[in-house]
Amino acid sequence: MVGVRFATTYPLAALTAFVLFGLLAVPFWLFVSELDFFEREPAALLVVAFSWGGLVATAASIPGSAALEDLTAKLGSPSLAAGWGAALAAPTVEEIAKTLGVVAIVLIARAQVNSVLDGIVYGAMVGLGFQIVEDIVFAMGAVALAGNGDHVQPVIATFLLRGFLSGVWSHTLFGALAGAGIGYLVVRTDRSRRVRFGVAVLAVAGAWASHVLWNSPILDDGLGNGGLALLAVLVVKGLPPLVLILLLVRSAHDREADYYVAQLATLGDPELITEAELGVLKSSARRASARRRAGRRGFLAVRRLQRAQARLAVELSRAAGSVSDGSVGRWCDEVREQRRILVGMNHPEAISAPRSWRQTASTVATTVLAVAVLWAALSSLGGA
Amino acid sequence: MGLVTAIAGLAFGLPALDRSLPSEQPVRADQPYLIGGGVTVVPPPGAVLDVTGTRPGDEDGSVLFRLGPVRYSIVVQPFDGTLQAAARRLRQRITDTSGYQLTGSELAVATRSGVAGLQGGYTGPGRGGRYAVFVDGGHIIEVTVSGADLDLGRTLPAIEASTRTLDPS
Repeated sequence: MVGVRFATTYPLAALTAFVLFGLLAVPFWLFVSELDFFEREPAALLVVAFSWGGLVATAASIPGSAALEDLTAKLGSPSLAAGWGAALAAPTVEEIAKTLGVVAIVLIARAQVNSVLDGIVYGAMVGLGFQIVEDIVFAMGAVALAGNGDHVQPVIATFLLRGFLSGVWSHTLFGALAGAGIGYLVVRTDRSRRVRFGVAVLAVAGAWASHVLWNSPILDDGLGNGGLALLAVLVVKGLPPLVLILLLVRSAHDREADYYVAQLATLGDPELITEAELGVLKSSARRASARRRAGRRGFLAVRRLQRAQARLAVELSRAAGSVSDGSVGRWCDEVREQRRILVGMNHPEAISAPRSWRQTASTVATTVLAVAVLWAALSSLGGA
Repeated sequence: MGLVTAIAGLAFGLPALDRSLPSEQPVRADQPYLIGGGVTVVPPPGAVLDVTGTRPGDEDGSVLFRLGPVRYSIVVQPFDGTLQAAARRLRQRITDTSGYQLTGSELAVATRSGVAGLQGGYTGPGRGGRYAVFVDGGHIIEVTVSGADLDLGRTLPAIEASTRTLDPS
């Protein structure tokens, strides 16, 4: 309803917001969907998770958060609501609404949630959907507040501020943490029910606390208005949860990779996977390096081999659990076929290359460029 | 079922709980009320404070008074433009709302402390309204009053007297 009103009153600004934030969603989507390389989540379920975040969770959170903030003013005071209303109300309602999205995925497709990493992926997708729609709503709110009619400047300012500066440590991250808790609750049946519930509650509480810290008025006044002050606030309020959650994601990723690579190691067949490829398959950086090493022609062939090896690992684990439908043989054949193609290209083994000076230079240049763009954005917004 | 109940609790339960509690608090009409950004106003006699529209702050703030069915809202925000730009911004926001349009011409006004402003009228579905805008000390002060025409006619003198007490000291 509100969206339709904005779109008809400010059509150019609405279109700009949809395009900019839609494009912003693409790299996040690719990164999140690539997290679980071995057992990729079905695209339909990722769409369901994203839609829950963007439609259901936002639709429930907008009235719910406003009501909770009003309750803070009524039961506390308007000053309390002005200072801490957004920090307390929004995280409480939004983290619950988003976590329910991961619960919905578990209820819809329990078989697809079989690792903590799956919970992380679905939680991050719910958070991503929420983040993109919330950003669009904020951008359109900024257009209305500016009172200059159908202009795109407020959309671009919102895009820089919410998309770039605060986008990294926003809902996608909080959703991933809560999703890890739900994943643990569902998957780790080797632990007692009390421990599993405890971990799930702790994870959701951690997402809530990270969100509260981010929304809190702490440091709002103490560091001035310059770009450096804004950077300091971002680092102090955003970096600790970011590092903590990325370490958790890394740990869940490595744990799953170790498990599946161990399945492949039992084969002892270098035509299916060599000793060096076992090490490569564990790491997304080394997998990417192996693809680059194969050159332009071999890039896709190596990717197909790696995906076939990953799929074979999953089928081997299912066979070990007596739930295989006979796919192990089919995926062995697929790996051999991809190996044959690579051998035909004089590239028999998909291994990563030692780091070259060009890669190092490229990384340094990209980092410098990113810092320059970030600094320009901080200066223009912080000095505004 | 539990999932639907939980979502419904957030979307409908919290707003219902919010509506079940009173939002109005008494406010003294004989002393200045701090809106935000250092700006104060003396509320009109008989007004009550609506805490759902009141958010005081150091740099900005808002206050919502109610005189029966009439809403009297004041919003203070940092602003570095002219009075004309501020008035244009407020007029645009009013006319951007579906069914709302401006009425009559804009008049120059001033507060008792000497801050110059502009005021005008608008009309919307089933209600009329007045607006006033002031710019001083790096802040914009936007005043909007809305209600049924009869109620507005009865309360506007007291509200206009209150608006003249706006003080961005």
